[in-house]
Amino acid sequence: MSEAKTHSIDISAMQRSQQALRIEDEKVCLAVNDLHLYYGDKEALKGIDMVIPEKKVTAFIGPSGCGKSTLLRCFNRMNDLVDSCRITGEITLHDQNIYEKGTDVAELRRRVGMVFQKPNPFPKSIYENVAYGLRIQGINKKRVIDETVEWALRSAALWDEVKDRLHESALGMSGGQQQRLVIARTVAVKPEVLLLDEPASALDPISTLKIEELIHELKEEFTIAIVTHNMQQAARVSDYTAFMYMGNMVEFGDTNTLFTNPTKQQTEDYITGRYG
Amino acid sequence: MSKELKLKKQTVSEWMKSGDPWVWLNAGAVAICVIMVIGLLLLIAVRGLGHFWPADIVEARYEMPGTPAYNLVAERVETAEVSAAQLREAGIQVEDHHDMMSRTLMKTGNRDVYGSDFRWVIDEYLTDLRRPEMLFAAERYEWGNLYGYLLAVKEDGKVVAETSDKEPTASALATWEAFQQRIDRALAIHDDIYEIEKHEIGSINYALERIRLKQRGYELRNELTPAHLADLNAERAQYDAEYKQLQQRLIELYKEINRDTFVVEAMDGSVHEMQVAKIVRAYRPNSMGVFAKLGHYGSKVVEFLTAEPREANTEGGVFPAIFGTIMMVLLMTILVTPFGVVAAVYLREYASQGWFTRIIRIAVNNLAGVPSIVYGVFGLGFFVYFLGSGIDQAFFPEALPSPTFGTGGLMWASITLALLTVPVVIVATEEGLARIPRNVREGSLALGATKAETLWRVVLPMASPAIMTGVILAVARAAGEVAPLMLVGVVKLAPSLPLDGNYPFLHLDQKFMHLGFHIYDVGFQSPNVEAARPLVYATALLLVIVIALLNLAAVTIRNHLREKYKSLEM
Repeated sequence: MSEAKTHSIDISAMQRSQQALRIEDEKVCLAVNDLHLYYGDKEALKGIDMVIPEKKVTAFIGPSGCGKSTLLRCFNRMNDLVDSCRITGEITLHDQNIYEKGTDVAELRRRVGMVFQKPNPFPKSIYENVAYGLRIQGINKKRVIDETVEWALRSAALWDEVKDRLHESALGMSGGQQQRLVIARTVAVKPEVLLLDEPASALDPISTLKIEELIHELKEEFTIAIVTHNMQQAARVSDYTAFMYMGNMVEFGDTNTLFTNPTKQQTEDYITGRYG
Repeated sequence: MSKELKLKKQTVSEWMKSGDPWVWLNAGAVAICVIMVIGLLLLIAVRGLGHFWPADIVEARYEMPGTPAYNLVAERVETAEVSAAQLREAGIQVEDHHDMMSRTLMKTGNRDVYGSDFRWVIDEYLTDLRRPEMLFAAERYEWGNLYGYLLAVKEDGKVVAETSDKEPTASALATWEAFQQRIDRALAIHDDIYEIEKHEIGSINYALERIRLKQRGYELRNELTPAHLADLNAERAQYDAEYKQLQQRLIELYKEINRDTFVVEAMDGSVHEMQVAKIVRAYRPNSMGVFAKLGHYGSKVVEFLTAEPREANTEGGVFPAIFGTIMMVLLMTILVTPFGVVAAVYLREYASQGWFTRIIRIAVNNLAGVPSIVYGVFGLGFFVYFLGSGIDQAFFPEALPSPTFGTGGLMWASITLALLTVPVVIVATEEGLARIPRNVREGSLALGATKAETLWRVVLPMASPAIMTGVILAVARAAGEVAPLMLVGVVKLAPSLPLDGNYPFLHLDQKFMHLGFHIYDVGFQSPNVEAARPLVYATALLLVIVIALLNLAAVTIRNHLREKYKSLEM
């Protein structure tokens, strides 16, 4: 056991408050209750129970195909787009079941924003990309939009790089800039929750670092759920970590405990690199 | 030291294996296509563009054995070889030593004098060929070209200039000068008359017709009170007064324009007096230099592009046909684009992708293969006879029994062609929609946009280059269609353009001219085949150019859109 520990991740380098976190003390933002998800006949999520604490970073780790992205996409009902997808159980956002009939899905997605693995800016100008969500809401006052765009770009640490070329195409930016633009675009509609689906996996190390710093700053204002297959990244950025395997939530707890003293053998095997 | 690379003799099977024959085959196929396209364009360009060049007029003595000799004044048109036997069978006495003889088609003009414009002559019997400078050609509003020597110019029957010379002497040139001045004057008056007849009286007639329809409408609804009638009559009286005024001016102008006459000697020595007002332009090609001829050529080309046709479409221009073609294609585009895009969006984005959708998709694709004349029949039966007569009864009862929309017209032709081309747009748009990356759609949805908002703001703009590709294909197909149009609104001669200054400006119910149909009409329905033939080529060339320009415009728009939404290539 102890030998395995030496191979595990050195968490002393983590820039994270070392005071013990207890999930019981957190305010609940999203709560998942016995969630099952089927793609056709295949059960992809096999009864998930967990909570996402407010204004904290929750990381989902696990091997490919374990269902962590699928679970993340349940939080803003992105799985609705998949025809063969069927869901039972419930997810509540501030005690409101988002799978209830008659839920305004567009409104839900505005409150629960999402950033995808591959940067997906629209083929519009930088400014229009960020203003998109506002325009969708019918906000057309130029002053309001101008202010929000600047605020969002500053929040995404992109303002200084692009303030002189706001009206150029977003497609001319580098991949890292594009991903931060997508974060700015998501932040601009002021959601309560930010879902990040492997936001740095397509980026170079420097851009990855910037995104991670950004996550640190953003958690002051937003509840963040991040999927990553990079365990160091999960250890660096998150307060809580969930380890998933084969559609099951194997272990969920504060990141320090999960990485230093996992309760399940499976978790330990995974974070020490025995498989995955 | 080093082994030399030796060129080894290849066996046939090795050569086949190397793939070279297939490269040659492919390149050969491409080369043949290119040569055929270039050949086609060259043929119609050479034949069509040559028509406007002012050919020399030759004067010669023509004496066929066994027939009396006569003087010939004509333009050369074409020369062909015929066998002597064939000529003998035709009753022409040909010497025995000839096997083949060349004969030339000569345009003698003066149809009013000789009854025909063209005659074949056998080159062998032409003697004493000359190109006298004073021979002139004149294009007329009627009866085709006139060739001859100018003898005198008269004003109100009194001679103002006169010559007996057939050489460019002072008196001959002075007479020519006087003739030209009077032609210019007549043309100016002609323009005035045209303006009055076509536009001013035209709009009065239009207004009177509207008053008549208004009155008829009141009658049909039993609302024709004396007050209404008085109003209408007052309006009518006002237009009548205007009309009287214009007519008075017309009478004066006609007196003015008919003032001058000229005397001409035709090739057989007969002398004719004609009105200057009948002449469109007169020129002496034998005395013209290259630059003068180029100028003449340019003015003829401009006339061809901008003037209305004369003489059963064999003379003058084709402007109404150009206008009708472009107008119809634009209307078709405006109709087919939204219709096709909406249908494609439903099929691709909203319809559940089951067997039923698949059958609809197959049916749509097959619609593109239905022969166009079938669409014409459908357009006539459904749009014109069914919808059109329904519209007439509902909205234009006062015009009945003469149909408004119950007969072929611009609108029905455009709709019929839109129907013909809508599968192309649907297929292209569907392909475009399928190529939009999923993550861009998800990006929009994740920001709280609904599916419709995502489609409208992100997906459709990104698919617009593909939509334009569909539109380009649709335009290319529609602009060249003739068969269905013959059933639903194209005519050989439309009295007025479908777009003019009379309210409501765009007359969708009007019949119109079309370049494709014009080619058919001029080439095969014309009383004067020889005169019309070059025009067939010229019009064909013009049709190709018009379609090319329409396509070029669409391609430019598409490339611009592509540049804007480049992310698709990611």
